[in-house]
Order: sequence, then C-alpha cells, then structure tokens
Amino acid sequence: MTTSSIDPVMKIEGRTAGRFGDFGGAYVPEILVPALRELAKAYESAQKDEAFQLEFKDLLQNYVGRPSLFYHAERLSKHLGGAEIYLKREDLNHTGAHKINNTLGQILLAKRMGKSRIIAETGAGQHGVATATACALFGLKCVIYMGEEDIRRQHLNVLRMRLLGAEVCSVTIGSRTLKDAINEAMRDWVAHVEDTFYCFGTAAGPHPYPTIVRDFQTIIGEETRRQALKELGRLPDTLIACVGGGSNAIGFFYPFIEDQGVKLIGVEAGGKGDAIGEHASTLTLGDPGVLHGSYSYLLQDDDGQIMMTHSVSAGLDYPGVGAEHSYLKEIGRAEYVRVSDIEAVRATQILCQTEGILPALESAHAIAHAVKLAPHYGPSHVIVVNLSGRGDKDVETLEEYMERGEYHE
Amino acid sequence: MSKRLDRIFSQPAKGKTRLIAYLMAGDPTPETTLRRLKGLADYGVDVLELGVPFSDPIADGPVIQSAGERALKGGMTLVKTLEIVREFRVLHETPVLLMSYLNPLLRYGWGKFVKDAVEAGVDGLILPDLPWKEGTNLRTETKRLVGTQLSFIPIVAQTSQEEDLLELSIGSQGFIYVLSRNGITGGEAEISAKVTGFINGLKQHTQLPRCVGFGIQTAKQVHCLAEYCDGVIIGSAIVRQFSELDKKELSELELRKGETEILEWVAEINSIK
Repeated sequence: MTTSSIDPVMKIEGRTAGRFGDFGGAYVPEILVPALRELAKAYESAQKDEAFQLEFKDLLQNYVGRPSLFYHAERLSKHLGGAEIYLKREDLNHTGAHKINNTLGQILLAKRMGKSRIIAETGAGQHGVATATACALFGLKCVIYMGEEDIRRQHLNVLRMRLLGAEVCSVTIGSRTLKDAINEAMRDWVAHVEDTFYCFGTAAGPHPYPTIVRDFQTIIGEETRRQALKELGRLPDTLIACVGGGSNAIGFFYPFIEDQGVKLIGVEAGGKGDAIGEHASTLTLGDPGVLHGSYSYLLQDDDGQIMMTHSVSAGLDYPGVGAEHSYLKEIGRAEYVRVSDIEAVRATQILCQTEGILPALESAHAIAHAVKLAPHYGPSHVIVVNLSGRGDKDVETLEEYMERGEYHE
Repeated sequence: MSKRLDRIFSQPAKGKTRLIAYLMAGDPTPETTLRRLKGLADYGVDVLELGVPFSDPIADGPVIQSAGERALKGGMTLVKTLEIVREFRVLHETPVLLMSYLNPLLRYGWGKFVKDAVEAGVDGLILPDLPWKEGTNLRTETKRLVGTQLSFIPIVAQTSQEEDLLELSIGSQGFIYVLSRNGITGGEAEISAKVTGFINGLKQHTQLPRCVGFGIQTAKQVHCLAEYCDGVIIGSAIVRQFSELDKKELSELELRKGETEILEWVAEINSIK
C-alpha cells in the first residue's frame, strides 16, 4: 500500500478528535450529528466519573467473570513444535465472546443518557446476544438487525437473542450480511434518534464509536499485559487477533502499541480466493474510502461501490474495518495478514484435538495464523492469541465442511 | 452559486412554489432517465436532483434503495451519470444537482470529479453522508478548482442545534435542504406547526432560500409548505410512480402516455397549468 491511495482532499492537518491519522471522522447524515456529539460528551463525562467506572468494573468482574484466563496451550505448542502459544480466553466470558465487554459499557452509557430503546447490528450474532443480554440485565427494549444470510448460518444465536427478549429484524436487502444490518440499524437510528441508543458492536463506524468500543475492549490487552508480566516475567513477543471490524484486536493491541518489541498481527478473512466476492480481506486487499460513517480501508470496485464479501465466519464477513486499524497499518505498527476458510476450519480442528477447546470460526483465523507462524520460532518466542469467542454457534457450519470432506488435511 | 441556480431563486415561482424533483440516474436505463429529466423540466420543474446510485445508501428508504439497486444492476456509474447531465444540457437550462454518497465521488478522485461535473453542467451537490462540519476540506478544494460554479447544498434536520446552524450559515450556497422530519427518504410527512415553526425559525440563521423535502407526496402538502418556504423537494413519490410504470409490460406508446400522466401530476401538485 502506498500513501498515495489517500485522496489529498481527505488529508487531515494535525490531530483532530475522532481521527486516527487521516482515518476516522463522522460521515453520517446531518440528523445524526447532534446525537453523536451528545454521545461523545456523555462518554467523556462517564470516563471521569468514578461511580461509572466502578459500576463497569464490577459488572466485568461479577457478571462477565473477568479477568479471563491467560492459558498456556502446551499441547498445541508441542504439536506445532516452535514458539510457545498462550491463549487469552475471551471465549470463557459470559455469553461466550469478547463482545459483552463493550455492550455492558455502552448500555451503562445509554442508561446514563436516559435512552429507553436500544438497537444494534449483528453479524455472527455474538454482539446481538451480548446486547440482548445487557438489555435484559437493565430492563431495556432491544431491537437487533441481522442479515438474512447470517440468520440462517448463526441460527442458534438468533434463538438466544429471542430468549433474552430481543426483537430480531431480518435484513433482506443487499448482501444480507453484517454490512446491510449496519445500514438498516443506521436507518432506524436516523428515524428514532431521540429515544434510541445505537449500541455499535465493532471498532468501526462514526466518531466516537471507534474510541468508545476500543476503550471498553482495552480490558483484554490490559489483563494480557498484567498476566504476561506475572506469569512470564516479561511481555509477549507476538500478539495475534482476528480482524473483521476489529474490536477484539484493537482492545487486545492497544495497551501494547508503545511497546515496539511486541509484534501485532491482525488476521483477516481470506475466504476462498482473491476474486471479488470471495473474501473479506479489507486491509490486505482494499483501499481507503467512506463506509458506515468512517474514512477507512474498504473493499470497493472501480466505481466506489462496496464489494460483496465472503467468509466462513459471519463475524469477519465485512467489507470495512475500524479506522484505527487502517492507521496502525499506515504507520506500520501492526501487520495484517489473511487466512482462508479452509485454514480456519483446520485450525478449529487442531485446537479442539490438542487442547479440548472449540474456538469460534472468527477466532480460528487467529489460531490458524499462529499455526503457520509457530514453527518458525523457538520456544523462547511467546505468541499470545486472542481467543475472542467460543465455537458452539458454528457447529452446524463445521458439519457442512465435514460432510463435504473438506475438514481434514 | 451557479447562474442557473441563482436565476431560479431570484425570480418568483412559476407555480405555488419552486419544485425540485428527484430521479435516480440509470433507473431503469440512462436513456429513460434523460428523457424523464427533460420531461420534468418541460413540465415546469425548477430544479432537478439526480441520484448517483450507491450500494449502501444509509439515508434512503425502500423506494430509492430499490431504484439504486436497479440502476446498479443495469451497470450505472458516476461516469454515465455525468454523461446524462451533459446530454441534458444540450437543450435545457434547468439546474441539476447531483445527490451522491461520498464514496463513489472519492473513488473517481475529488479534483477530477468537480471539474468534470462543472464541465457536464452540474450546478450543485447534495451529499447525504457528508455533514457540514466534515466537509471543510472538500468545500475549500472545490472552490479552489471551480470557484462558486458548484454549490454545496447543506441539509438541515430538526435535530440540528444552534452551533450546527451557525457553522452552516458560513459558506453555504444555493439553498438549504430542510428535512420535514427525522428519518430516511420516502414515507409521508405530516406538516405540523412544529415543522412550519422550525422552517420559519431558520430565517434567523440564514438568508438562503429554504426548500423542504422527505415524505412530500401530495398537492395538499405542497400548498401548505409553499406558505412557509421557498421550494419543495419531491423524490420517492416520483420515483415510485415511474417504477410502477416500468414494472408493467407496456408498448412504447403506452409507456410514453404513462410518463406524460406522471409529468402532468407533477405539474398539477404545484398548480402549474
């Protein structure tokens, strides 16, 4: 990538709120400008409010079950024969993924702002489940937008959301996946901005969402740092996380950004090939543009239309990415790579059989990259993989692969 | 602002008020769009708004979303949209505004886009995902390249606050696009005392003409709004009627007859005989 792919007219002089270098901003309909400003102000005051911070910490500890484990995957490390691999076990959180960290934070904000109706988009359904859970906990009305295609492949999570009392709206336009669910949630927000809080699930979207989501997810990286120092007596050498919108990765990376010795690797969905519509490798194959309120890398065609994407994992099946990841790529602080559907499915099998842990297909992308990388190092090299979610929701998809005989090497 | 746009608002309205009509470029074909643009101009429409189709139109309701999908399926692009304007300009002076999401324009290259747009005969831009305060660089660069030939039409919502209105009163041109209600394009708007009060209140902030859009579909709404503002924008109601016509299997003659009926309806709601 060259910096010349950024249109000079999108260059930002100096540091501006809501910008990560030239990326970010708030490219939204004018109707939403006051709502985003109100949200930014409420968030700023909540950050300084000790009672808010205490309530959030208490929920993380006593409801989510934090801190999550920092687990030495000894059999996996031995199987791969190289670096020592540790797993940050976000899959053990209540509701089964890292998403709950962010939704609890945002629902506390919604409560503080006096909003009575919560809307959210979801891809894999993990953010939808986490939002429905937080709404149930606080007695708030909850509407989840989900693409028809995702409803089909993540149907267990749809049942969970309905059990939790949320209304799940099927989105039947466009690619019928996460991108269209966000479009529809934004349209809902534009129409109901006065009483509605949009609980955004990933580190993308307009300012202040990328900052809010990152901050609520930073607990992942903070704990990892503390746990590594305590158990290893030093920082890890490499961190690996999957990147769809990028919330688990940015929360994991953020506390290590100043530690130049720690390598940060984001893993995108390579899908089944490089052609249009076969992958969701936004940072590795895309170009900067504006989607869902933010200037960031995108998968787009020559006319600036957003491309269809594909990934075996619904949570990574997104043509955009959080603006801060675009920035980390631009300045060369993080590296972004891609892993194919098949590699992710195989990594799922390897982790199941060496450690007895079933990862989400999203997280399996990060595992797959560790599988590739580990043999290149010796045992003194420590890789930490963020195991962002558990894979119970994916067993039907995995079964399809098994039946097609694509499961084994 | 462009001379063509300036002329519309410095002269008295031809009908009850000034009528701004929207079409999606390339729905269902560029040739049809061109013919209908000409028809709307000939039937007394004051300003034409031409939508550039985009895959992810977050500010649009089902009618315009579907129109965009049809256009994209037919292979519509920004280049072809500018071509429509160029051909329209051969015989028509009616101002044309492009309504586009930002990404297709950025992909084309901003500098190249504004020059090509002016050269094709575009008079202004309505950018639904560019709020005024994010647009400073784009407006500065546009002014540097083409002066005031291309107006940025600001959108004002009823949620807009004092500070937004103040910012917008600096450097805006053409007219102000006032949203009749919160929400996306289409549906039906109720013209309540709150709405007319809001439109009146804008006079404190700007000297620019105020045109009202979103959910306008009846003569009654147009007549009511005419007393409070300088123009009315009709989008989904026109797009829907044309698309219903396109769905039918009609002979060329029947199609033209149906189009004329829609054009007559457009003239009628603004009391143009």
